[in-house]
Amino acid sequence: MTKISPKIMAEAIYNATKGKSGSNLELALKRSVKVLENKRMIGNSKNVLSALQEIIDKKEGIVRMKATTAHKMETTERKKLENEIKEKYKAQNVESLFFEKPELLGGIRVEVGDEVWDATYKNKLRKLEKFLIRET
Amino acid sequence: MSNNIVENLRKEIEAFKIQTEVEKVGKVLEVFDGIAKVSGLSDVKSSEIVTFSNGVGGVALNLEEDAVGVIILGSFDKIKEGEEVRATGRILEISVSDSILGRAVNAIGAPIDGKGAIKAGKSYPIEKVAPGVVTRQGVDQPVATGIKAIDAIIPIGRGQRELIIGDRQTGKTAIAIDAILNQKGQNMICVYVSIGQKDSKLRKLQARLEDSGAMAYTVIVSAGASEPAAMSYIAPYSGVAIAEYFMDQGKDVLIIYDDLSKHAVAYREISLLLRRPPGREAYPGDVFYLHSRLLERACRRNAKYGGGSITALPIIETQTGDISAYIPTNVISITDGQIFLETDLFYKGIRPAVNVGSSVSRVGSSAQIKAMKKVAGTLKLDLAQFRELEAFAQFGSDLDDSTKRQLERGKRSVEVLKQLQYAPVKMEHQVVTFYALTKGFMDDVPVEKIKEFEGGLIEYTERHAKVFYKEIAESKMWTDKGEEQLKKAIAEFKSSFMK
Repeated sequence: MTKISPKIMAEAIYNATKGKSGSNLELALKRSVKVLENKRMIGNSKNVLSALQEIIDKKEGIVRMKATTAHKMETTERKKLENEIKEKYKAQNVESLFFEKPELLGGIRVEVGDEVWDATYKNKLRKLEKFLIRET
Repeated sequence: MSNNIVENLRKEIEAFKIQTEVEKVGKVLEVFDGIAKVSGLSDVKSSEIVTFSNGVGGVALNLEEDAVGVIILGSFDKIKEGEEVRATGRILEISVSDSILGRAVNAIGAPIDGKGAIKAGKSYPIEKVAPGVVTRQGVDQPVATGIKAIDAIIPIGRGQRELIIGDRQTGKTAIAIDAILNQKGQNMICVYVSIGQKDSKLRKLQARLEDSGAMAYTVIVSAGASEPAAMSYIAPYSGVAIAEYFMDQGKDVLIIYDDLSKHAVAYREISLLLRRPPGREAYPGDVFYLHSRLLERACRRNAKYGGGSITALPIIETQTGDISAYIPTNVISITDGQIFLETDLFYKGIRPAVNVGSSVSRVGSSAQIKAMKKVAGTLKLDLAQFRELEAFAQFGSDLDDSTKRQLERGKRSVEVLKQLQYAPVKMEHQVVTFYALTKGFMDDVPVEKIKEFEGGLIEYTERHAKVFYKEIAESKMWTDKGEEQLKKAIAEFKSSFMK
């Protein structure tokens, strides 16, 4: 028997629960947990949940963004950034998390899925360091 | 002085342009035995270089649905779970320039001989598709190994792949090293790829090459026994990438893989760690392709495509002479012949311990020079008949004259083929020796004096058969005039030797 990946299981759960609500949804979810138990995938439920999240995001056009800056961003700046991301990824909705890390010194680091746009001073300095110690 | 440094740095910093681009970044899920499982990196290609946060590189080898299996090229004890891994978009490559000649480098091209940095040059991909049919040409130029048994009976041509196979301690590496030593002045670049060997052995070998002046045209690529299996896995591909750099300049290259058994073992280790399904002897399913794609890169290119060639001498170590094991049969079928070395012969004192009966060169005979073909044409058959008669003669004492003659000639042939290590013999000297042997000049020389006779004969004929030597050097064949002179010189030397 082929191994069931979390992605495939998540797809199945999504299809089983799609369009359901109330007691029907509850029943479908209970059955999904039972299937996970039968397939011995309870230990892997974290991965199944994150895969499920990804599927839902994709279907509903949600993009999750994580922005990290050295100093707190103004609300207008945050809105501007969210709009930029919305346009770039052609998303319906952007769910964003903002963090502050003073060790970044300045600039901004934006993460969407496995794509990273790192324009922090720390990263720029690291690149400069690499450039200066390169072998010529 | 310090002002100058500051000024230079300022200029460099001003010239530095920072471009911030979107990068693909993954996270380390787990690290074990030189392997890392990485999540993310959705667009990573197979064989793409990735870099870990601490600067160590890796190669994406297993592209799975929700993770990427990466082999780590370096120390993996500082890589932590959750650490960032960046895709570079570049396939694994090695920087090669002419200044790599005479140097020893590791599997990723970094110098390991303590002689400082190697000037960066062109980047050559480590994995490359072998040259196509239209770019190739038949093998017709010889590689003089300086080993009589090989040059006479199992000749190797430029662009050929000839396997050296045998048990441990039978002189496999010795043949390869002798072949390198003999390339001095032969217009050949040598690449020696050491896979999973002890560092002490490599050091000894390097010192020998340096002492003989052979490092001037040699590059050593080493993945030592203490290095991770990933390095052993990529070392032969790096070696052939270096060879391709020189071939692209129209040069002839001799590459030695010492040895491919250890390479297969390293690949098996990586594959099992990456959870690829094991097959026969626990090797993965693509172990044949592992070696065939490597050895197919050895070729002779035609003049239209720049000429040049790569001759490959892969080495395989067998266990108790079992050449029918998985890896030996694979590599035998890939190569254009094999030189089979035997423990029994080695301990009988027949060194190089080449088993002439089991050894073969499928394409080399067309590369053999005419003179050698003429003198050594029947040698293989004669030796095979001698071995048969030798076994037969042990049972009976009454033998007819022709059988006795054949036996005596056989004993002398075996004696002539014996050769000391690090003492390659020039092609013209080999021709003279085999001429004297096959024309019966050695038949009445006592077997124990054959070596002495051979040494003296070379010295004497060099002085007294100059025409013959000149003809061999110029047209690779003698004329009647040269032959007469040689015959006379051999007869003269023999009469003084036998006194």
